[in-house]
Amino acid sequence: MSKRRQSVDASRRNFLKGATLAGAATLTAPAVTQAQVAAPRANLKALPPGPRQIAVETTPPTKDPVNQSSSGGDFMVDVMKTLDIEYLAMNCASSFRGLHEAVLNHGNNVKPEIITCPHEEIAVHMGQGYAKMNEGKPLAMICHGVVGLQHATMAMYNAWCDRVPVICMGGNIMEANKRAPGAEWVHSGVDINAITRDFTKWDDQPTSLQHFAESMVRAYKIATTPPMGPVMMALDAELQENPIADGETLRIPKLAKVVPPQGDAAALTEAAKLLVAAENPVIVCDRVARTHAGMGRLVELAEALQCPVIDVWGRMNFPSRHPLNQTFRRGPLLGQADVILAIEVNDLWGVLNNFSDRIVRTSRPAIKPGTKTITLGVRDLYLKGNYQDFGRYQDADLAIAGDGEASLPALTEAVKRLVDDGRRSAYEQRGKKLAVAHQATVDRAKSDATLGWGSSPITTARMCAEVYAQIKDEDWSLVGNTIRNSWPHRLWKFEKPYSWNGVSGGAGVGYNAPSSLGAALANKKHGRLTVTFNGDGDLMFVPSTLWTAAHHRIPILYIVQNNRAYHQEYMYLQAMAARHGRGIENTAIGTTITDPNVDYATVARGFGVHGEGPITDPNDLGPALKRAIAAVKSGQPALVDVVSEQR
Amino acid sequence: MSRIPSFLAGAVLACGALALPAAAQDAPTGDVANGKKIYLADGCFMCHGRVGQGGAYNGPAPVLAKTEMPFEGFKGQLRQPVQDMPAYSEAVMSDQQVADIYAFLQSLPGRTDPKTIPLLNN
Repeated sequence: MSKRRQSVDASRRNFLKGATLAGAATLTAPAVTQAQVAAPRANLKALPPGPRQIAVETTPPTKDPVNQSSSGGDFMVDVMKTLDIEYLAMNCASSFRGLHEAVLNHGNNVKPEIITCPHEEIAVHMGQGYAKMNEGKPLAMICHGVVGLQHATMAMYNAWCDRVPVICMGGNIMEANKRAPGAEWVHSGVDINAITRDFTKWDDQPTSLQHFAESMVRAYKIATTPPMGPVMMALDAELQENPIADGETLRIPKLAKVVPPQGDAAALTEAAKLLVAAENPVIVCDRVARTHAGMGRLVELAEALQCPVIDVWGRMNFPSRHPLNQTFRRGPLLGQADVILAIEVNDLWGVLNNFSDRIVRTSRPAIKPGTKTITLGVRDLYLKGNYQDFGRYQDADLAIAGDGEASLPALTEAVKRLVDDGRRSAYEQRGKKLAVAHQATVDRAKSDATLGWGSSPITTARMCAEVYAQIKDEDWSLVGNTIRNSWPHRLWKFEKPYSWNGVSGGAGVGYNAPSSLGAALANKKHGRLTVTFNGDGDLMFVPSTLWTAAHHRIPILYIVQNNRAYHQEYMYLQAMAARHGRGIENTAIGTTITDPNVDYATVARGFGVHGEGPITDPNDLGPALKRAIAAVKSGQPALVDVVSEQR
Repeated sequence: MSRIPSFLAGAVLACGALALPAAAQDAPTGDVANGKKIYLADGCFMCHGRVGQGGAYNGPAPVLAKTEMPFEGFKGQLRQPVQDMPAYSEAVMSDQQVADIYAFLQSLPGRTDPKTIPLLNN
């Protein structure tokens, strides 16, 4: 970050002048002190003072104040305390030094407590993982003006796509005549929030402390109201650093918790009628469970209908071993569905259509003609035009604008009112068939997992089975996963609201390591055993996340699925080469992470994290996991490097 | 970065392949060692796993260890694949090489009874 240069501005750089005066005081200290400090040596001669030194020694001190008893940063900390913000994730930078100092010395580094991150992307992604695990209660992050914010942007985009609140802030120096030459100019902007406006829910650049208080409370309220999303506040350095001029007039507004919008009662009743009358209803869920209440509400609806549920895994929506969980029977169930209820589904078109990634790209519906589709969610309530995260338009027969989790109780009650004895009996039969089918998918998963059980590189099935064997009796929380690794959901029993923490949203690589750490931070106070599968390619983006884990003593178990490649791209490149029929042996170039192979256990140890591996023999994995989990249970982060199959 | 369409798009293919009758005995003679070499060098393993355990590309990539797909169907899938699997023309992979790969896949251990593996009975 920038190194500040001295400014001659009279109103701003008081501390630098203080430093100059301190230096002058040293130069004019009593002779005895000087003698103690530097006894003359015979072979050295002091140079005569130059004009600058003479000027320093002879110019009387200015009347500029060199101390202050308050700062705008203090008030900003008070506002954050009022909002009960637990953490401030950041990489230190001069444009918010005023707030940084205030957090430490006015706020005693409590609410918020600073989380030091070696990269701004880590700070935002920690906020994303934290808020999801913390039932939508966000942390704050702050970054340097312009360049720090540019680092933060991809993570903010992931949070935007994932509809997760993160209170983002950036330092800025708004007044041109207050900027020191050099870095302060290149790190300032007229409107730094413009960088992120396409993927934040709201932003502001307050010009007074009262303005800050009101905007900060507003930002918090907007961020945490469904559809949630990141917000951005640009904080003027002068506002942070200068004394509070009008303290007696400042007021921190009251935060009113917003009741999430619920679907229209008549529309929910109409949806209930369609579902109750259906022969083959299907529920598809994505980002339904905002809080720990969400999963139970969805279970209640599904059980009332004895209806299959297909989970897109955006949140911990539905228990993996519930007999109505039919996630792995998606194709056949959608193909025979007569009514589909899609709750908070981000890309419904992608779910209801089969897309072919061939030379001529085509698609065909996965549902039969005449299938009624009901959507329930707040996705459409806040969209923007540039980035295309909303997906292709999908027809719906009944579109209900309302928060899924908030609307579920009313929908379930409406369903229960409509279910008569005849229906109930039919539902029981349907439920029994679904239970048998569910068990068959579990049995099939176990059978599939035996393939290559003893081989090396270690299969992903073996890797996941070994991990589960070590954690199944703990209060575990799986907070991240590698691309297309479905083994945990196939083999493990996800049954608690915190058993799973969703996915990145924007598929921006570099999400998993820091977001998992943010979730671990939220889990820490509950004593949960936090586990994450981390792709090696993902970890290579922000490996310094491991230092943050060690520095802040955040217990987490990283399992690196080390397939030594950006494997999805490796396969895409092979497909491109196969299309041309001109050789497919070169596709490792630019897609693999070999020569040299990365030893992530050593990397981890270098950052102060307990490291195990690289593990190549599957029989070594269990003991390594035991040692790593023991470290995690003692309060440390740990990493196990598993040299694995590609998928 | 990665484009990630419908993750179950290949499920139908997988089920279809398994439903076909076993006809490995009708396959031309193949060289297991050469088949393994091609399977690894030409990147079949990238989607289907080094031991034919299956994997995922745009959707699930079927299990190939001891595939029950008849040789002609197997070759047809390589030459003119359904779903998103890349095509392997004869210029890239000869019929004999396809037979070698098929022989290699038949030589793999395949499934075992999960009840014999304690970790799969949690």
